[in-house]
Amino acid sequence: MTNTQVPNSQAPAVRPRPGTPPAVAVRRSVRDRGTRLLAALFLAPTVVGIVVFTVVPIIVSVVLSLFHWNVIDPPRFAGGANYRTTFTDSTVLVSFRNTLLFMVLAVALQLLIALSLALALNGRMPVWLRSLFRSAFFFPLVLSAASISVVMKYLFNQDFGVVNWLIGLVGVAPVPWLTSEHAAMATVVLVYVWQQFGFSFLLFVGGLNNIPKEIHEAAALDGATGLRKHLGITLPLLSPTLLVASVVGIINALQVFEQPYVLTDGGPGDATRTVVMVIYERAFEQLDFGEASAVGVLLFALIMAVTAVQFRLSRRFVHYQ
Amino acid sequence: MTDSHIPRRTLLRYGAYGAGAAALAGTAASWDRLTGADIPGRDDGSLVVATLGSAFDPATVDALTKGFHRLHPDIPLRVNAVQAVDWSDFFAKILTQIAAGTAPDLVYVATEGVQLFAQRLGVALDHWVRRDAAELREYFADVHPSLVESMMYEGNLYQLPMEFNAADIYLNKQVLKRAGAGFPAADWSRDDFTALLRELKRTGGSHFTPYFWTNRLWGGVVPWLFANGTNLLKESKAPGGSWLWDTFYPAADRQGRGGGFRWTTPQATADRVEEAYDYLASLVQEDLCTRPEGGNGSNLVGVFSTGHVGVTPAGGFWAGGLQLAGMRAADYDVQYFPRWRTQRHQFGAAGYALLRTSKKQEAAWEFIKYAARKDTMTRLFQGNQTTPARRSMLNAARYAESGPAHWQVFYDTLDRFPDTGPIPAPPQVAEVTDVLLKYTGTALASPRAVGPALRRMQGDLEQAMEREI
Repeated sequence: MTNTQVPNSQAPAVRPRPGTPPAVAVRRSVRDRGTRLLAALFLAPTVVGIVVFTVVPIIVSVVLSLFHWNVIDPPRFAGGANYRTTFTDSTVLVSFRNTLLFMVLAVALQLLIALSLALALNGRMPVWLRSLFRSAFFFPLVLSAASISVVMKYLFNQDFGVVNWLIGLVGVAPVPWLTSEHAAMATVVLVYVWQQFGFSFLLFVGGLNNIPKEIHEAAALDGATGLRKHLGITLPLLSPTLLVASVVGIINALQVFEQPYVLTDGGPGDATRTVVMVIYERAFEQLDFGEASAVGVLLFALIMAVTAVQFRLSRRFVHYQ
Repeated sequence: MTDSHIPRRTLLRYGAYGAGAAALAGTAASWDRLTGADIPGRDDGSLVVATLGSAFDPATVDALTKGFHRLHPDIPLRVNAVQAVDWSDFFAKILTQIAAGTAPDLVYVATEGVQLFAQRLGVALDHWVRRDAAELREYFADVHPSLVESMMYEGNLYQLPMEFNAADIYLNKQVLKRAGAGFPAADWSRDDFTALLRELKRTGGSHFTPYFWTNRLWGGVVPWLFANGTNLLKESKAPGGSWLWDTFYPAADRQGRGGGFRWTTPQATADRVEEAYDYLASLVQEDLCTRPEGGNGSNLVGVFSTGHVGVTPAGGFWAGGLQLAGMRAADYDVQYFPRWRTQRHQFGAAGYALLRTSKKQEAAWEFIKYAARKDTMTRLFQGNQTTPARRSMLNAARYAESGPAHWQVFYDTLDRFPDTGPIPAPPQVAEVTDVLLKYTGTALASPRAVGPALRRMQGDLEQAMEREI
């Protein structure tokens, strides 16, 4: 069989088509196999990590949700009993409502603040000042949520907190930030957003930097100014970044635990009890790992559903060019 | 020309990859790395004792271990200090260890977990106590029977109490002086207490709270329930226990003793319970106390020592805490909890529980006896971070530096009010606590919320008590 050799340097970087000389095909297939092997080697640690620490626990949780297990005695098959209990348990239902409310408030506020600040810093400003602001906004994100919450618990204390002392200076009566059913959720949202918005902020800064200046210049020549320019150009071109920020934000918000756990312990009453708090309480305080797993599975399903809806909606609202 | 061979360069490259991977695999396989087996004492036949990490400092643990080794050189000992926020967190971690197959032999358990451990995991100490009665006579003579009874379950003894804390009232003397208020009498009433709070409020300023308390099982609403002659759950005593009382206690101390407490039917809607909540709600309405926050009261030491709080319920553990916060002995004092219908106090106690999974039960018993010796307890409880269960350890010398002046109150609470008892902690304690905390928050979060909150609490408590653990 004849073979016309093609030097490596001139070999097109595509799969050999039918009719391609065999020698080239062999060499490319070897190279492809090598590349795939190398890729697999590089991916292996991550894949193993995901399988061991994510996939297996998900499967175990689903299985465990079908059993009664209190750690001490052997598991007993329960069928759908844990799910029935979950759907009739007012605490669980309230925790889902709280979590969804928290998600809406926290993500909306987080994106709004992050986007506003990113746009503000995108204007004319000395580089050192811009860097200072970026660092300051990102800093809370690298701190432990539990540590921040402990400090915030002191700050928002109704009687001895700095916050009430400050508003007292202008004659405002002390607010029961953490002990009123109406104020507690708002306080938890505030603390959470203060810590988290730095991530969205950085995403938006990166997204804004990727918008070609020429487009803005062209719009300016056409007479577009301020808000019109942002609504017509910046936001549509920033929509992929908005999608990422909102997806990550929603997934994180649906799993909120540390802030309400430390700040209010889910109270007063159930006002700030979230789904992950219920999972923790059922598993590690009440030794009901079956029901805890059932709640966990439902939360997993909720996160999947919300994320799927987001991606479906993104087809309509996200512009990649 | 046919080219069916792999080029030399490619072969060399993949050979190098292969060699590199093999080298990495070889290195990993032969690496002298740490595993669980490298943890000192792990699987080496040591007697493993799990304690709440914050209970004893490393020096104390070291002294405990060395002392035990001198006495029993044939029993290797490992103290596993489990770091936890509070007792429920500690139990969760112990249960996780049990689930993982690394159960300790002994666990330091407080009242909150006595019945849970006794029912599901513990070994009754009865036959050892009977066998070594002569050796233990001195211990029981030094320990109040109420503490011992709180460690019994259905007629059997599961732990020897090492420490306890009753909910007495701490008063900031600087705040009292500022208000011109006198130190309350031992038999002060609830109305005296309210009047004192009003006096303190009058002179305290806007950022001052006369009465601060934390929403939790110990020291939260329960002391008021006890003072009003009621409880969250119907309380009775299990039969039995005479084998212990007849052996170790004189007739006067045996009176009314049983085989441990039983907490059964919830009674959150009982008139006296509602009365106690109404009283606390009235204090909130009058700004005499804050709405209760959850947590373990960790932020309380600071605000009490700086005079932002006037009075608060606490036990002997606070004497050490306030000293660490820089408070001088003369700046505060302690008095009994005020009288309402009764002056019954609540307490929580702790001791070592022996797990039935232990293969070294005889050795574990030797450790329990060693830990209960006076010299051992003296080493363990050097700082006033708790109230020792042995009466003889509470003396003027112990409190000379830290205070309070009325240190006798700590142990006299048990003597003066013989009906003083443990916080209600059935085997379903975790769920009961969650329900209590949740609805206490609701009941006091807004006006006129007490009745509806207690009705919902009753329903949830009934469900909790029906649940099998």
